[in-house]
Amino acid sequence: MSTAIHINSLTKRYKDTDTLAVDNINMEIPIGQMYGLLGPNGAGKTTTVSMLCSLLRPTSGKIDILGKELSLNLNEIRKLIGVVPQDIALYDNLTAIENLNFFGRMYGMKGNLLKERTNEFLKIFGLAEKSDQKISTYSGGMKRRINLITGILHMPEVLFLDEPTVGIDVQSRTVIMEYLMKLQKEGMTIVYTSHHMEEAEKYCSQIAIIDQGSIIEHGVPDELVKKHTGCANLEEIFLKLTGRKLRD
Amino acid sequence: MSKFVASTIKDIKLLLRDRAGLVMLFGMPIALIIIMTLLQDSTFRALEEKKLPILIINHDQDTFGITIVEGLKSSKFFSVTEEFIDVEGISKLKEKVRSGEFQIGIVIKKNSSELLRNNIKFNIVNLLPPEDSLIFGDKSLSLMKNPGIDIYFDPITKNSFKQSITSALNQYSSGVEAKIMFEVYSALLKELLGLEMRNTSDFRNMVDMQTLFAGSDEEFVPNSVQHNVPAWTIFAMFFIVIPLAGNIIKERESGISTRLKIIAGSNMPVILGKVSTYFIVGMIQAVSMLAVGIFILPLLGLPQLEIGDNYLNLLLLTAAVSLAASGYGVVIGVMSTSQEQSSIFGSISVVILAAIGGIWVPVFMMSEFMQVVSSLSPLNWAIGGYYDIFLRNADLVEILPNMALLSGFFLICIAVSWYYRKIRSES
Repeated sequence: MSTAIHINSLTKRYKDTDTLAVDNINMEIPIGQMYGLLGPNGAGKTTTVSMLCSLLRPTSGKIDILGKELSLNLNEIRKLIGVVPQDIALYDNLTAIENLNFFGRMYGMKGNLLKERTNEFLKIFGLAEKSDQKISTYSGGMKRRINLITGILHMPEVLFLDEPTVGIDVQSRTVIMEYLMKLQKEGMTIVYTSHHMEEAEKYCSQIAIIDQGSIIEHGVPDELVKKHTGCANLEEIFLKLTGRKLRD
Repeated sequence: MSKFVASTIKDIKLLLRDRAGLVMLFGMPIALIIIMTLLQDSTFRALEEKKLPILIINHDQDTFGITIVEGLKSSKFFSVTEEFIDVEGISKLKEKVRSGEFQIGIVIKKNSSELLRNNIKFNIVNLLPPEDSLIFGDKSLSLMKNPGIDIYFDPITKNSFKQSITSALNQYSSGVEAKIMFEVYSALLKELLGLEMRNTSDFRNMVDMQTLFAGSDEEFVPNSVQHNVPAWTIFAMFFIVIPLAGNIIKERESGISTRLKIIAGSNMPVILGKVSTYFIVGMIQAVSMLAVGIFILPLLGLPQLEIGDNYLNLLLLTAAVSLAASGYGVVIGVMSTSQEQSSIFGSISVVILAAIGGIWVPVFMMSEFMQVVSSLSPLNWAIGGYYDIFLRNADLVEILPNMALLSGFFLICIAVSWYYRKIRSES
C-alpha cells in the first residue's frame, strides 16, 4: 500500500446553504509525504481537513485512509491519525505535563511509554524545564509547541495540522517545521494547511491550491513554479490563480 | 477504565484550581442554610400548636378550684399563670387580658368547692324519703347559689379558642361534680348500709378517646432545620449545573472537545469523568451541610438536625440526588451554545425548579394545584425523600420511588446529551 489518503469525488454542502463548501475534490496523497493544502480564507481547506479527520460527514464522496474506508472504519482509523488544530486546544489551568498525561491516556497510552514519550517531546521542543507550569503562563510559541506535541504524542501514521505555525516567532516555527520534516522522513504522512507560502514551498513535497471548494492546482512546488511562467514562487502562483480580491 | 479515571482526575484538578468556584460550591450553600434557617425559624414555630396564655385567679383553693387549675396546666394547649391576687385582683386580671398579655383570664370564685358539695348533698337528700332527709345531720341543708367561674376574653380571641376553653372548663367541672357526687353517695351508702367504699379519690375515665388520622399518611410538619438543611443542600447540589455546564462549553469553545472527538472511544469516558467529579462534589456538599445542621445550627439557638440512624438510606438518597444534579449539568452544558446562556439558563431553571419543588416554601404550605405541579420537580423528589428519612424514619422501600425518579432523571439527561451531541456532530 503506497497511498495514505485517497479522496474520491468529495463534496460538502452545509445545511441550509446553496453553495458547496467542498466541490467534487479528488486527491491522492502517498505515504510519507508532507502535503500542503493552500487557499484563501473560506476556500474549503478546513472543511476538507475536517472531513479527512472524521469531524464532518461528507455530503457525498469517499475517503480512504491507509486503505480503509473512513465511514466504515471510524474508530480504527481514529487510532491511526493525529490532529493539531489551529486553536490551542489545551487546558489552561493544567500544566504541560498534566495536559500531555491526560491526552496521552485518552489515546490509550499509559505507564512508562507515556512518561518516556512525554519527556522526550518536552526535551525536543525545549519545554522540559517549564513542564510543571500551567499552560496559561506560556508564551504563544510555547503553547503552539505543546499543541503540536499533544497531536503527535501517540505517533500517528497520518497527521493533520491546521495552521500549526500561525502567530509564532521564527525560532518556534523553525523548530516545529524541522521536527515535522523529521517525522515525515520516518514515514509519517503529514497534511497541513497554511497561509505561509514560503513555508509550504520549503517543506511540502506536494501542494494543492483550493479555491471556492475546488482544487485549482496541485503538484510539486518546484514543478508548479516552472509550469507557471512569470511566477517566481508559490505565492505568486497562488495570487495568480486565486486573484487579489479580498475574501470574507 | 483508564480514560475514565484520567478524565475524572483532570476535572478534579481543574475544579480544585478554581478557587472562586469552590467558594460558590461550598461557602454559598452553608451561608444559605444558616441564613434561611434563622429567617424561617419563627415562621415554622408558628406552625406548631401555639399554647394559649391563660391567667387564673383561684379564690377557691379547694377541690374544685385545684382540679380546674391542675387540669388546665396539664393540657398541652394552654400556658397557665396562676396568681393569688388581692381584692383588686379581678380588675388587674381584666387589665392584663385587655392589654393582650393574656388572651384569657379565669376567676374561680371563693368557696366554689363548698357550694358544690352543699348543692350536690341537697340534690341527693331531696331524692331520699323525707324520713331520711337528715341522714347527713344537716338540718338546714338548702340549695345555695351555684359555684361559678368567670371567664374574661381578649376581644381578638378567636371563637374557636373561646369554645375550646369553655369546653375544657366544662369537662373539668363535670369531673369534679362527678367526683363529689361519688363521695356523697359513698357517705350515704356507708350511713345507710354500713358499706365502706374504697378509693373514692380514684376516679377513672370510663370512655377512651383516640385521635386518628383519616388519611393514609400521618402529616408530619418539619421544623425550620428539618426543612432548610436538606432543602438548601439540594439547591446547592443542583447549582453545580453552572460550573459543570461551563466546563463543557469551555472545552467546546477552546477546541478541546473537537480534539477529544477525534480520539477513538473518548466521548463517554470524558462525560462520565465530569459526572463522577461533580457527583463527588455533591456528596461532599451534602455531608458538610448535614454537619452544619448537626453541629453549627444548635450553637445559634436552632434545633439540632436529627438524621436518625438510617445512614445507608441517607447515603443512597444523597447519591441519587447528586447523580440527578450532575446529569442536569451535563445536559445544560451540551445544549447551551455559550457560557452566558448556560449560566443564565442553568441558574434560573434551578431557581424555578427549587421554587416549585418546595425548597423556598414547603410543599405542605402550597395550594393543592401547586402541590401537583411540585411533583414534577426533581428537587421535590429529593426533598420528599429527605423528609421521609428525617421525619418518618423511612426504610429503603419507602424512599425507593424517590431514588428511582432521581436516577431516571439522570439517565434521561445523559441520553438526551448523547443524542444531542450526535445530532449536532452529524449536522
